[in-house]
Amino acid sequence: MPSRERTRAAGIASDPGPRSTDHGPLGGRHERPDARAKVAGSTRFVADLALPGMLHAALAVSPVPSARLAGLELAAARAVDGVEAVLTAADIPGKNQVGVVFPDQPLLVEDRVRMVGDRFALVAARTPEAAWEAARLVRPLLEELSAVHDPVAALRPGAPPLHEGGNLIRTFKVVRGDVTRERARADVVVEAEYQIGGQEHAYLEPQACLAIPEARERITIITSCQCPFYVQKAVARVLGLPLAAVRVEQAPTGGGFGGKEDYPSEPAACVAVLAFATGKPVRLVLPRELDMQASTKRHTVVVRHRWGADRDGQLCFAEVETVMDAGAYIGLSTVVAERANASSIGPYRVPAVRVATHVAYTNNLFGGAFRGFGAPQVTWAAEATMDKLARRLRMDPLELRRRNVLDDRRRTTSTGQRLPGPVLASECLDRAAALAGWDEFRARSQANSGPVREGMGIGLVLYGCNLHHGGQRLDRSSAVVILQPDGSVVVRVGLTEMGQGNLAAAQTIAAQALGVDPAVVQVWQPDTTTVGDSGPTVASRGAHMSGLAILDAIRRLRTRLDPVAAELLGCRADEVELAGSLASVRGSPERTVPVAQVASEMAARRIEAIATGWHRTRPRRFDPETGIGAPYEFYAIACQIARVKVDSELGLIRVEEVSAAHDVGRVIHRDAMEGQIQGGIVQGMGWAISEELKLDHGRLANPSFTDYTIPTAADAPKVRITVVESEGASGPFGAKGVGEPSLIPTAAAVRNAVCDALGVEIDRLPLTPPTVVAALGDRHPFAWLLSERRVDEHERLATVDRDG
Amino acid sequence: MAERVTVTLTLNGERRTFEVPPGRRLLDLLRDDAGLTGSKEGCGAGECGACTVLLDGVPVTSCLVLAASADGHEVVTVEGLLQAGRLHPFQDSLVTRGGVQCGFCTPGIAVTGAAILARGEADPSEQARLLSGNLCRCTGYTKVIEALQDSFAKGGHAKS
Ligand code: FES
Ligand code: FES
Repeated sequence: MPSRERTRAAGIASDPGPRSTDHGPLGGRHERPDARAKVAGSTRFVADLALPGMLHAALAVSPVPSARLAGLELAAARAVDGVEAVLTAADIPGKNQVGVVFPDQPLLVEDRVRMVGDRFALVAARTPEAAWEAARLVRPLLEELSAVHDPVAALRPGAPPLHEGGNLIRTFKVVRGDVTRERARADVVVEAEYQIGGQEHAYLEPQACLAIPEARERITIITSCQCPFYVQKAVARVLGLPLAAVRVEQAPTGGGFGGKEDYPSEPAACVAVLAFATGKPVRLVLPRELDMQASTKRHTVVVRHRWGADRDGQLCFAEVETVMDAGAYIGLSTVVAERANASSIGPYRVPAVRVATHVAYTNNLFGGAFRGFGAPQVTWAAEATMDKLARRLRMDPLELRRRNVLDDRRRTTSTGQRLPGPVLASECLDRAAALAGWDEFRARSQANSGPVREGMGIGLVLYGCNLHHGGQRLDRSSAVVILQPDGSVVVRVGLTEMGQGNLAAAQTIAAQALGVDPAVVQVWQPDTTTVGDSGPTVASRGAHMSGLAILDAIRRLRTRLDPVAAELLGCRADEVELAGSLASVRGSPERTVPVAQVASEMAARRIEAIATGWHRTRPRRFDPETGIGAPYEFYAIACQIARVKVDSELGLIRVEEVSAAHDVGRVIHRDAMEGQIQGGIVQGMGWAISEELKLDHGRLANPSFTDYTIPTAADAPKVRITVVESEGASGPFGAKGVGEPSLIPTAAAVRNAVCDALGVEIDRLPLTPPTVVAALGDRHPFAWLLSERRVDEHERLATVDRDG
Repeated sequence: MAERVTVTLTLNGERRTFEVPPGRRLLDLLRDDAGLTGSKEGCGAGECGACTVLLDGVPVTSCLVLAASADGHEVVTVEGLLQAGRLHPFQDSLVTRGGVQCGFCTPGIAVTGAAILARGEADPSEQARLLSGNLCRCTGYTKVIEALQDSFAKGGHAKS
């Protein structure tokens, strides 16, 4: 039975952590391998690559969300000086299709426009200016059709359908226990409807890719992306090529967060078609405005709740109904919904659960993958409801959670899965509360009046690591390890670095397993011709899956390395140990030979010094109809507590501090891990309070960093981190992913802190000043003034009505 | 032949002359004409700071500066922060303190940070305010500010 003895906690705020130790680099703070080149400006992103004769691509896109395309006038575009190609759907050599899961999305519009940003034509020209000028001159002949912009309305009878078969894409469910009986038992019931806005990734590097054709036979794509294997498939499909003829190399990627999961396949397919048509290299870099308009977003959702608890605060039942706005194409929306559905209840024990998650087509922005993948929205709702229940029960929100979280004895989740390993929910709650000074704060915050109020709130998440059962066929990964004659090591993995630290993690794991210094290990960005399809770099699976594949490769390499070392050492192969850059004899640490010498000996004897590695997750049982079973292989828990100050007159929120307790299994690279948590918190905070996607008939009305405001250095809260390490997770050396658990609870914690400060409930995200002021209603310090203005407006409207 | 203007500037300590169209942005002169691709374009609208360079020692977003207006002035890019191939103290602290993730914002942050150090600003919240024109979506800024503090403590402001 896992117990507290087997867990240990490291408080990072006070603990500088080892830079590296006698036990190897694992958990240390050695330099990230990519940092020096990046800081010197010598890392080449796609926009920094150019080839002789290279053309620049541009896209002609729809300004309207719904229309029939009757034709395209291209003469003016073709006449622009420097233009070499203007292509339409008819020019696509293979299939005109880029849907990643379901074939509902053409690369270029044939007859029907379904969203602003749908592509009509592709342009290639000798300068970017000429290309975009020509794209602007492409004239579509459009007959506008009615559109639908509200996902709930889209599901009503009579709503204009986007595709054949209506607007309901799919419904996912979890059905467990007897809700009717449990409802009768509940002493308090909370009902709520949460309106939760989407989010733009705002990676600093816009979408970018470069295609290099070789006759019409094969092609290389260099692209800023998370999933080179997705891009490979998409390009092969539009060009009608076998997969082996499409080589996709991941360029250094300037941020992804999910925004470079599926979407990069679209620009890559565009440049591929242009490169084949012109026979020249073609590069595309999306202007920020178009990038923000057309690329995928975190889904806007509506979540309805009815949750009940007994007098003692034990949850009795939870009913959740969620409607997700997919936009005009499915993309990854069903996959996101699958995770949202399974994550709806959180780390709580609830005897009866009924969850329904609907995915709807609309003519809005394109919903897709974004850090947390549907879990942040449902977690926000669940944590808001927990606080409402606490207020109704007059119970400390921390205490209410303590009474309901899963633990080592009661470890069955809402989907009926028994959690493997130690269940650290209470541990995370308590550690975050201690870091934040929860009890002290509550003791002194009784007299919270005056214009600036302080509050504290909790967010707690149970995160299913790796891919959902539904995506299991993709859940495998590949690695290649080459020991060079000088003892340095090449590592290739199929998962990508996008800033999160996958190179550092892969380097650390390989160095640890080979007993060498991380500095001698070079991890190169993936390329589809050097490693096997490893699925997408998502779901916080990068370090986990590539790490296990690397360990497998090193295990195989050692079947050839150890005998050579044994000969040099005069021992048996099974006595060889690798550590501190030395091979040594177990039990006789004074008998050593440098690993580098073993490597040169292997080279001299022409022994194969390359090994491949593979990892796949174990099959699990899951029933998609009822949502019961094991959707995920294992889970991570995180608790964050936010302390905020709210100006109740202006509705302005300042997040002062976030205290984060994370169950990470084992730390691989301490700086990368902390960086993920700090970055996730700030991105989650932005979503919570300032990042609002303003829509005007499906068009993004604020497609710029001035109008869509992401946090700056001046907005960043103080972040305190404590990690709970434990034995038993299945990742490399027991590590669990941290990239998404870092963001998921933040917005919930901020919301609960703001509501704590103001004594009101806010059921809408983001908590922008107008939302906060509106929620205050009569409690706003100037409510009398606002109500007078409302009366005025009524009278004015009445006048208008009368005057006609 | 389209109209051209002559721009002569001191670029990373070297006097250089370029013939460019009158509307050319300083960012394009740097990246396309001078081949210095360290300065990045994240927005092209003066909002993200990825293109930050020093113009006569002051950080500016080079996507909003006309190349012609740099004529006769001194420009330092991220490449120019290095001295004899060695990283600037702040760049070094960014590396050792984990202040670099995807790296796209990093050149601009390095340049602005170098200016903050040169100005001798030691207060972390003032440093954060001065950095607020440089967006970073990855780090959450904590380690960037820690790196500034670190290079300050090591006397980086005196050396720069
Ligand atoms: S590219 Fe110049 S500020 Fe963004
Ligand atoms: S490191 Fe990615 S934007 Fe700053």
